[in-house]
Amino acid sequence: MSDAALHVSGLKKSFGRNRVLRGVDVTLAPGSVTVLMGANGAGKSTLVKAICGHHRADGGQMTLAGRPFDPADVADAISRGVVTVHQSIDDGVIPDLDVANNLMLDRLVDGQDGLFVRDRRLRAEASKVAAEMGLTVNMRTRVSDLPVADRQMIAIARAMVRAPKVLILDEPTSSLSATEAARLFDLIDRLRAQGVAILYISHRMSDIRRVAERIVVMRDGAISGVFDTRPLDYEAAVTAMLGHRMNEVDIRQRTGTTPLLELTELQIREGAAPITLTVRDGEVVAFVGLLGSGKSRLADILSGLSHPLGGIMRINGTRYAPRSVEEAVGKAVFLSPKDRGTNAVIPGFDIADNMTLPFLRGVSLGPFLSTRRQHKRTGDMVERVGIVCQSVRDGIGTLSGGNQQKVMIARWLLEPAQVLLLDEPFQGVDIGARRDIGRHIRATAQGRATLVFLAEIDEALEIADRIVVMNEGTIVGEHISDAINLAALVADITGPDGPETGLHP
Amino acid sequence: MLRRYFITLTGAAGLALGAGAAIAQEAPAPFDAPQDVTIALVRYLSTGDFFQAYLSGVETQAEALGVNLRVLDSRQDAALQADMVDQAIALGVDGIIIQHGLTESMRDAAQRAVDAGIEVVAFDVNVENDAIPQIEQSDYLLGKLALEQAIADNGESFAAGYVYVPGIAPLDRRHVAWEEVKTAHPGITEAARIGTLDNPIANANANQARAALQANPTISVFFAPYNEFAKGVKIAADEVGMSADMSIYSADISTADIALMREPGSAWKATVATNPAVVGEVSVRALALMLAGQDPGASVIVPPTLITQAFLNDQDIRNMEDLGEKMPQFQHADVAMADWIALPSR
Amino acid sequence: MNDKILNFAVRYGFLILLVGLIVYFSLAAPGFFGPLSAAFVLQSVAVTGILALGVTCTLVVDGFDLSIGAVATSALMLSAYSMVILEHPTIVAVLLCLGMGALVGLLNGLLIVKFRVPDLLATLGMMFLLIGVQRIPTQGNSIATGMTLSDGTVAEGTFSAAFLWLGRHRFDVFIERLLPMPVVIFVVIAVVIWLFLGFTRHGRLMYAIGSNARAASLVGTPVNRYKIAAYMISGVTASIGGILLAARLGRGDIASGNNLLLDSVAAALIGFAVLGAARPNAFGTAIGALFVGILLQGMTMMNAPYYTQDFVKGAVLVAALVFTFYLSSRRSGAGH
Repeated sequence: MSDAALHVSGLKKSFGRNRVLRGVDVTLAPGSVTVLMGANGAGKSTLVKAICGHHRADGGQMTLAGRPFDPADVADAISRGVVTVHQSIDDGVIPDLDVANNLMLDRLVDGQDGLFVRDRRLRAEASKVAAEMGLTVNMRTRVSDLPVADRQMIAIARAMVRAPKVLILDEPTSSLSATEAARLFDLIDRLRAQGVAILYISHRMSDIRRVAERIVVMRDGAISGVFDTRPLDYEAAVTAMLGHRMNEVDIRQRTGTTPLLELTELQIREGAAPITLTVRDGEVVAFVGLLGSGKSRLADILSGLSHPLGGIMRINGTRYAPRSVEEAVGKAVFLSPKDRGTNAVIPGFDIADNMTLPFLRGVSLGPFLSTRRQHKRTGDMVERVGIVCQSVRDGIGTLSGGNQQKVMIARWLLEPAQVLLLDEPFQGVDIGARRDIGRHIRATAQGRATLVFLAEIDEALEIADRIVVMNEGTIVGEHISDAINLAALVADITGPDGPETGLHP
Repeated sequence: MLRRYFITLTGAAGLALGAGAAIAQEAPAPFDAPQDVTIALVRYLSTGDFFQAYLSGVETQAEALGVNLRVLDSRQDAALQADMVDQAIALGVDGIIIQHGLTESMRDAAQRAVDAGIEVVAFDVNVENDAIPQIEQSDYLLGKLALEQAIADNGESFAAGYVYVPGIAPLDRRHVAWEEVKTAHPGITEAARIGTLDNPIANANANQARAALQANPTISVFFAPYNEFAKGVKIAADEVGMSADMSIYSADISTADIALMREPGSAWKATVATNPAVVGEVSVRALALMLAGQDPGASVIVPPTLITQAFLNDQDIRNMEDLGEKMPQFQHADVAMADWIALPSR
Repeated sequence: MNDKILNFAVRYGFLILLVGLIVYFSLAAPGFFGPLSAAFVLQSVAVTGILALGVTCTLVVDGFDLSIGAVATSALMLSAYSMVILEHPTIVAVLLCLGMGALVGLLNGLLIVKFRVPDLLATLGMMFLLIGVQRIPTQGNSIATGMTLSDGTVAEGTFSAAFLWLGRHRFDVFIERLLPMPVVIFVVIAVVIWLFLGFTRHGRLMYAIGSNARAASLVGTPVNRYKIAAYMISGVTASIGGILLAARLGRGDIASGNNLLLDSVAAALIGFAVLGAARPNAFGTAIGALFVGILLQGMTMMNAPYYTQDFVKGAVLVAALVFTFYLSSRRSGAGH
């Protein structure tokens, strides 16, 4: 593999006790596109950050064009020819400067041109760079006035000014429309032709089909699959990513009888097919799909955070169209959001305050909180869900991640729900806590409709009576848990074959 | 005696005229066509009653002369004030009044104005320039007169409280009088010294004065040579219940101060003040003399007036207008006068 | 063992320091120890304390109100304008001021939640606006009975006895005429805000917003309404401070109120350190204001010049912030 642009072997990285990378081997060849896939927390971003100099690895080696590569920091990695375009586009551009200044930013930084900026020369050189990249924007336009796609192009073009050997694109299409994405792919083709080694990180199957020559899949901090024989086996890749180790699932199927939540012709996203679905009383339905499949969007709409483009929602036959979370909570539709750190935990509060936060009225006498009631209700719930703590007065920060998550879920079990929405309830939770939470959700499911939004198939199989697969903002398949056809499920998640691109002759 | 002193100082100003009766006669150039004369007032300080009154004096005297007035206000920005002098030069004004400011920032700007052939007077700022007369209210005399009254009322031996914030030019000059009096009268002791410019100034000083009075109940005289200080001390004296046992002597005056001095049982016995409006008028007149080719003298001093509680009560004075009526020397100063200069009507 | 000492220091350090100060001044400054002196200390911190309680509410929702000083001096001018020039009765003047405070708070809140102006910038803008606006009706002059108005007439109104009573009355407690009215109002507001922030669900939700606004909104808290309410509380308390100031001074002084702002923010920040709370709280704010007041009273009685007072205020604030952010974080780190 001496002709490899970048060779990574045995890369290790831990944060505290958390082993994020457990010996990763990846090779990137010049003039080819390698797609990196992996679910949340698989270690993709840590790997990228180690390569681009953001983290120092704890173990393993990297070689760049045959020479040892151990970047001290981001600037060092860039100067050696490893350039990264991050997911958040505005990290890659300076919105208040014009296009020419953005393209030439590195020249401004390295200071070779002396103290004064010669705008005319700057613009001339920037135009040259833009022409090479097939970019046609006015050099004097402020970047903040450009559409997202152009900004993305400029971020990439800026990276190309440094003539990189390795280019890492992290979810580059996540905020682009289809036509905008097509322009990006043309650009990628051109760079490939110039001999750049590209590492492309994405969840979008359509993107992957369009650009991938090789697929590398990560799971739990290690490489779980490499696919480089054509035609690429996308379904195998998705399986490698999501895993399907069959746990001894012990679900007594409940289908329920009374329809509780009814969605009719609900359109959640521009251009997506409408959704029609019924969830019955006592049923636990899991929604699975890749990132960007529309799961979170559906959860947001049901919880009043955003609004559908069309269609009708009904609860118990009554029209339901919440304008805010407050209204949804008022109608007993509860959402436990994903990413508890940013969306759910109140870091300054103790367990009792955190748990009772939505229902403080219920533990108050008039406007005054009754600490006694609050502690009683919290204490009961702590016992039922099995939260490990010394007292309900403990700060939430003293709990482990799994116990914090239990508090966040328990928060919504304090009062009876009509519809309970759980977005990634097992995020950052160990297997024991996951079982506890799942058992409790199933045990209390009677009297409500429970919708669980998940990326991992294993988790869905553990908790759901029914698994609904989403893709491109709509429902593409339904599977009953006790009669699961795993291959069909994975095929649904992967999505229908996109148009062949002619990339792989 | 004081009066004569001032008249000699302003010798070139000509003889005094009866207030309000002046009629412009055969005005020298350029005041034969005053509408073509423009003067500029370049200010450093502008917020507060004193500066408002000063401005009104400048405005009324400029109007009486019939000249155009441009007011440039730098709002305590020293660099901006210097730029404003340059602006005034560029505007082609005939004369400039520099009102307060810092010597360091104004010295060169003032020189540029002089070089451009513009007549300049300065109020309460030393621009170190022989061609520029100083208009001053004598802060030293303000302090001196107030303390003389304190000694007249209380004898030559008492425990005093004193309000002082060093580094503020007029307060520093008033401070000189206090040091002199203490040296001259060993019986006068400074039992407590307080002072802050935290705003609201009266409120902050009231808090301090109250602590000082509590710690030193023997204080019988409080020298607070600035009316905001005096007001704070008075509030404190009332709150501690010492108003009957002590006297406050201060400097400066406003309508509100008159009300406070006249409150029944008020400890505020006397103040010494120069009418800021008069200072404004004098500034314009001194500049007018220079424009007409006459010399107002290197230093034009506006004499201060002693105002006692007894006088206010006897004359039933309620506000500054009453004070001007009943105390003509407060309403008008025979300084920087000429028979061709019309005085503001009153 | 070490942890225990640290814990104790963080929790009671400031209160012990406060007691130590009182003991020291009582020994060093004759006349410091006594009910009269205590009443005076309380009176000197009453106005800044009231403002500080308001700013505490905005700190709780992770905001900040730089306009409180200007609101207070605007209320000072407005009450004077209302009574001296417009000759309104006391109740009208007081209601006008309170209404003005609520309106400014509402505008601050709307600027912040609707127009997405960062809190510091919105309230800074409001501060300048108010400093200017309070001077417009009188062309920059202070307001006092007998002043000549721009139309040549003389202002005949006076501050009514009832209004001055608010700032000057003293109740007989232990000894005659001891407890000043502003202190009573300060204590009442402190208790009300302490109850509100610490013991009502509204207060709890406001703390939740301050700690993680997104999480609070996702459980259905009307975050924007609470934020606006916090700024309105801050505006109203600041206008109460201004009313008391006007009643004490007996005239409408033009002033920027910047020192009021700085002193009350200092009190609220010192309050973080009291009882190791490490977050804004009404009890701490009141103690913080008292702490500064005792220091200044004691130092003035010992004839310390004014600049040492600023120095000491700064030193106390820095020490309190170290208590809050360094020691408290060490403690919670140890608790893991």
